[in-house]
Amino acid sequence: MADPLAPSGNAAYDAMLTAAAALRQRRDQPTKPLIRVDLTTSSVAAGADGLLGELRREAAARGIDCEIITVGTLGFSFAQPTVEVHLPGKQPVVYGPVLAGTTSAFLRQAVLGEEADADSAPALGVRPSGSTMRAPASAQDGGAQEGVPSLHEHPFWRPQERRLMEWMGVIDPDDIEEAISVGRYAGLARAMSLEPIAICDLVESSGIGGRGGAGFPAGRKWKFLLGSPGPIKYIVLNADEGDPGAYVNRVLMESDPHLVLEGMAIAGRATEASHGFIYIRDEYPLAVERMLQAIAQAEAKGLLSDGRPGSGGALGAETIQIRVVQGAGSYVCGEETGLIASVEGLRGMPKIRPPFPAERGVFGKPSNVNNTETFANAPLALVHGADWYREAGTESDPGSKMFSISGSLQRSGIVELPFGFPMNELMMTMGGGPSAGHTVKGIQPGGPLGGILGADDIGLALERPPFTERGVLLGSGGLILFDERACPVDLAYYFAQFCEIESCGRCTTCHGGSQRMVEILHRIIQGGGREGDLEQLGVLDDTMQNANCIHGQFTPYAIRGISRHFGEELREHLVGKRCRARSCAGLIEYEITDPLHPDLETAAELDSSGTLLRGSDGQWSLSGRGAEEFGVLPEVAPEAIAVRDRFAVAAQADESGRDVAADLAVAGGA
Amino acid sequence: MDRNQIDSLLADLPREQGQLLPALHRVQHELGWLPREVFAPVAKHLKITEAQVYGPATYYAEFRISPPPERLVTWCSGPTCRVLGGDKVLRIMEAELGCELGGNSADGKTGLWLGQCNGSCERAPQVWVDGRVVGPLSLADSVRLARRIKAGEDVAPAPQGAVQIESTAVQVKAYHGAAGDDTGGHSASSAGER
Repeated sequence: MADPLAPSGNAAYDAMLTAAAALRQRRDQPTKPLIRVDLTTSSVAAGADGLLGELRREAAARGIDCEIITVGTLGFSFAQPTVEVHLPGKQPVVYGPVLAGTTSAFLRQAVLGEEADADSAPALGVRPSGSTMRAPASAQDGGAQEGVPSLHEHPFWRPQERRLMEWMGVIDPDDIEEAISVGRYAGLARAMSLEPIAICDLVESSGIGGRGGAGFPAGRKWKFLLGSPGPIKYIVLNADEGDPGAYVNRVLMESDPHLVLEGMAIAGRATEASHGFIYIRDEYPLAVERMLQAIAQAEAKGLLSDGRPGSGGALGAETIQIRVVQGAGSYVCGEETGLIASVEGLRGMPKIRPPFPAERGVFGKPSNVNNTETFANAPLALVHGADWYREAGTESDPGSKMFSISGSLQRSGIVELPFGFPMNELMMTMGGGPSAGHTVKGIQPGGPLGGILGADDIGLALERPPFTERGVLLGSGGLILFDERACPVDLAYYFAQFCEIESCGRCTTCHGGSQRMVEILHRIIQGGGREGDLEQLGVLDDTMQNANCIHGQFTPYAIRGISRHFGEELREHLVGKRCRARSCAGLIEYEITDPLHPDLETAAELDSSGTLLRGSDGQWSLSGRGAEEFGVLPEVAPEAIAVRDRFAVAAQADESGRDVAADLAVAGGA
Repeated sequence: MDRNQIDSLLADLPREQGQLLPALHRVQHELGWLPREVFAPVAKHLKITEAQVYGPATYYAEFRISPPPERLVTWCSGPTCRVLGGDKVLRIMEAELGCELGGNSADGKTGLWLGQCNGSCERAPQVWVDGRVVGPLSLADSVRLARRIKAGEDVAPAPQGAVQIESTAVQVKAYHGAAGDDTGGHSASSAGER
């Protein structure tokens, strides 16, 4: 790999690098305690903003001479808020969670070196100062320090291939000086000496594929736009990231916005585009602000055009001007033609392709849409070269990929791994497996359109081909592990409902099809399943393949995955009216088995429905089934009750599978 | 709201359809919602029809055409929350607050709205009280939280000395207004509206 801090041959850039060197030195080898506070959406959800204020006040009150800065995230979402303390002459130590109200003890322990007490935050590990891209050459380099092990021994950290995430959680995302000090815009500087077609060739030979999930070679896509007539051409960055449970783009923008901008500027030069749009979903206000801040700083440095002729030419040729467009809550705007419509100020409804955006995109002009992570990979190829880029990953998917893992996991968070990494190692070793006492039931990859995998597929390699073979999508990098408490049929209903709500309404096949799918699945989870339902769902699936865009076409992926991996459970719902996860409220009922159990007292306090009644003998009883109106009962009084199948008798009476819905309604007292 | 207020809000926005989302975001940021009366001045400023404003304003989930309640409970509808019992949290919120998802409580003070995953899934299942994440929630927590909200208690105060995330970088006015070059009638010059 090349050293991004080596002279680039671009005098203007090298001068910027030299000017930033002192800052890098100060941050990598501080002369007074340096405290880095992770300030991102995840850490703020855990109170990091309050913690930051508290740390500042506490340090001032104690007269501790230290520097407190805010940074992006290292990825330890499970341990938020995380704080890193770098003492002079030592290696930085990452702590988390550091809870508000414990900062006094924390500063005594982490900065003043006093004995840890009960209040103290746990140390996650020692992070060798500087780049996080490579593991230390020797144990001493990244080794333990005063009883705290190296981060490289932490299961969540050890296997990572931190290329995009190299400086995330280390540098201040609101400071372009620090971004430059770690080599941001070095790729752009190198691009200045290359012809546009040579940049496209380099990106193509590195094998950067579209990170939104399709994997289409970015270099080839850029060539389409380069070949389109100008002078007005647009580069569009898709940061709509609508897949719930996937948040790698958010982390990228919040933690290293200049990497994203640099990638766009390179794409701009490679395609001779005139302008860039960054389309960010409305749910990411902090990412919007960080990107706006970063653009303003890059414009001030002349690294991006501010719209005035001749601006943005600090490194040589003029660069593109970039504008942020904030979305407004529409999932289909993640589809590129829907996104383009939204940028134009229209309803975000996808259009039929062709014409492709490279021909007629934003405002009818040639355009190129790529995912945030795709753009962020471009600087890597420019700085380190195509051969280095291909050292990680697989033949079909070169390079690395960021993943967000969540669900029933010990350790949720953001990681970066080479493509091809085994999923079970990610979920079971790095993520620590399901929550205590539970077992893996399945995995939901790639968002609502991504389908569902069973527990037996957990060993899949994280690259596109094995996922595609199983009819699921690796998607943009969200992986959700669920355990035996989750009902796969309910999940199918849930995803159908999501797709119905988010259908743009253009094709009847999509909005009507998903609506019908919701109706059938809802009936099934309520105990009204009919024998013909599976065939009906199959017909809907076939029909929806005629929808204009992938929203409609992929909506049936969830139910397909359920049929494939959880077919038995689906039939149990359908025929036996039974939910083995005991999750579908319409199929279960509660029964009090210990009417004098003290936990029922607590339960009664939480019962607003009047379901739990106490007789004159002090015994508790239920006035109804309880499952729908009083879901809290099994959680607070598990030993006092039993959860039963509502339709157990009927299910036993009818194993033949004929339509028993009417009989069941009577049997269930409905 | 008067017309001048809208006009001055939009004064520096180029007059074109492409500025509709930024324009609506600005108005909603200022007023909290999009009253019917704002469509005409927005349309006039952007030189489009009122229907061209109304369509997108009602298409996108985040644009609100009714006034927001005093307190807002946003229920995260994401799949991570779902597999960890998010649907049960919703049923509790609906029962305790006395309204369906998308509606307001009987006294009109508290709204229960659907939210799309913001990627803080390590705290699933969760709700956002006035924009602040509260989670992970057990079902018992959910009942207690809803009751405190109903009683008007401050359940998720911005911590003391908090950095206002909403405003950390908003002072970036530098890109407003810089004159556009010829972009075929669709200037991309005013980067970054909020």
